[in-house]
Amino acid sequence: MYTFGIDIGSTTSKCVVMKDGTQIVGTSLLVGGIGTKSPAEAVRQALENAGVTREELAGVAATGYGRNRYEDADYHVSELSCHGLGAHHTFPGVRTIIDIGGQDAKVISLDSEGRMQNFLMNDKCAAGTGRFLDVMANILVIPVGELADYCARAKEPAQISSTCTVFAESEVISQLANGVEMEDLVAGICSSVAGRVASLAKRINIVPEVCMSGGVAQNAGVRNALSEKIGHPILFSPNAQLFGAIGAALYAWEKKQ
Amino acid sequence: MSVQEMNLQELLDCFHEVAHDPGKQMKKYLDEGKKVVLVAPVYTPEEVIHSMGMVPMGAWGGDIQLNEAKKYFPAFICSIMQSIVELGTKGVYDGASAIVIPSLCDSLKVLGQNWKYAVKDIPFIPMTYPQNRKPAFGRTFTKAGYERVAADLEKATGIKFEEDKLPASIDVYNAHNAAMRAVSEKLASHPEITNQQRSDIFKSATFMLKEEHTELVNALLAALDKAGASAKKTIRIMTSGILADAPDLLTILDENNMQIVADDVAAESRQYRTDTPDGDKAPLERLADKFAETDNCSVLYDVEKKRVDKIVEDAKKADAKGVLVLLTKFCDPEEFDYPLIKRACSAADLPCVLIEIDRQMVNYEQARTAIETFKDLLA
Repeated sequence: MYTFGIDIGSTTSKCVVMKDGTQIVGTSLLVGGIGTKSPAEAVRQALENAGVTREELAGVAATGYGRNRYEDADYHVSELSCHGLGAHHTFPGVRTIIDIGGQDAKVISLDSEGRMQNFLMNDKCAAGTGRFLDVMANILVIPVGELADYCARAKEPAQISSTCTVFAESEVISQLANGVEMEDLVAGICSSVAGRVASLAKRINIVPEVCMSGGVAQNAGVRNALSEKIGHPILFSPNAQLFGAIGAALYAWEKKQ
Repeated sequence: MSVQEMNLQELLDCFHEVAHDPGKQMKKYLDEGKKVVLVAPVYTPEEVIHSMGMVPMGAWGGDIQLNEAKKYFPAFICSIMQSIVELGTKGVYDGASAIVIPSLCDSLKVLGQNWKYAVKDIPFIPMTYPQNRKPAFGRTFTKAGYERVAADLEKATGIKFEEDKLPASIDVYNAHNAAMRAVSEKLASHPEITNQQRSDIFKSATFMLKEEHTELVNALLAALDKAGASAKKTIRIMTSGILADAPDLLTILDENNMQIVADDVAAESRQYRTDTPDGDKAPLERLADKFAETDNCSVLYDVEKKRVDKIVEDAKKADAKGVLVLLTKFCDPEEFDYPLIKRACSAADLPCVLIEIDRQMVNYEQARTAIETFKDLLA
């Protein structure tokens, strides 16, 4: 039985086709989220990758901020629930999931069976989210995907405020004017995001294993800084950005069982 | 049509109309020749105003864009206070004879001081409460506050306060408290009544004379009995916070099949928990005793924070499966209590989720996500 999960986020669209609730047979990930053409294209690509037609799908679940506007779904599920399912599927021992997406950050606590116990969401603020990294990368004229490489070469991370994206933007410009090395600035930026999210995570009882999900999980600079700040290693999967879509496909499978 | 002749839907429509058009209600009272006195949250001595033959009308602000109010307040302050001033500067309260503002939190103190300059045509009357309300000296202080309110009302309206008329108003308010407690309990076994309709019942109370509202509520209780409870299955939750009246938020709860079966909301049940005691004391002393005996609220000093245990107790009693804390942004007293509430709920195995709200929210998608996740968690 094939099921399908689509995660329509604020900045990207992700799809996963699963077979029998265990095997990922097709995926897609496109820049452009809610309100763009990307969700439809992501669906097309994932089905093509899997070699499966829409008619062969037993169930479709949509998640992410655009979930309720996606009409071709049997289920609309909160992204926190889906990230929990997706992370547990990938790391069966995971108890704490830190999800940093394009416009928000969330922390999810699971019990040993993978059931959600608690969750927290960030304030309505760009600090501590992927948006913060996007803004900073834009100022530094560095592709956001290369931030981690710069971070790895840093000698002394700069101090960047973690309280406000707008103020932090001014700080970065000031630091550039003062001749601070680009690598040190990027490390400071990653540390700033990590600091903000670590504060959120500490409001929940952090139980290992801990993993990250969402687009920012790809950034080793943020991952390492976050690991240091919360005092736990952070598991990483190349599929971290797909956890929401994986969880949605699993949800559809469970419902159809 | 008399209230007794109204059916269940007509009663619910009536609550809705009053809750969503308080201006019409105020005009009605003014057209009847009555004087209207605005009462800001919370625990304003409405009985004093009522005993003078005037209409105490709740001023809890509204869900509006704040512009003028920003001239008087810092950015990070309670939006309820700001929206009260915003409505005042826009003339929404024109016709009111005065506004009584208690001093139970720092924001309320700021509201009173700013009101004097922002809305000059409606006199500001402070009600200064003591922090230590239970000892005899605290009760004396409260009584003196009520006397000051009565004197200021006399000055603002020309109507004399006569303490011997107060017991009748106290009876009206005690009867209303009983009706509101009864309806809250009754609604817990009527899942067919939406959260919006429940909110309408509570919200309309602040805009009506209490004897009129009591009549409506008692008619509703009878109509609910007559209709019988529906078999609809819902996810039973309890709410806590200052306000819980945002239509979008209530709709999201309804859409997710969540039913508010009890509340610890300042604009709802908190104000109806305590009656003015009977006895031989002077009426104002009895009223001061009522305030002294009012408990379990974030703005009332309690070193033991018994409020936290009461939330858990009420949730369990109402068979609520979780507690939804609706935290008014920048409300310090509520923010201080939240970690304790969270800890107590956790110890009682009662899932508890916080959603931050304010009077300027236009996008509820983050709240929707939190509520949908809460539903999954409770399931």
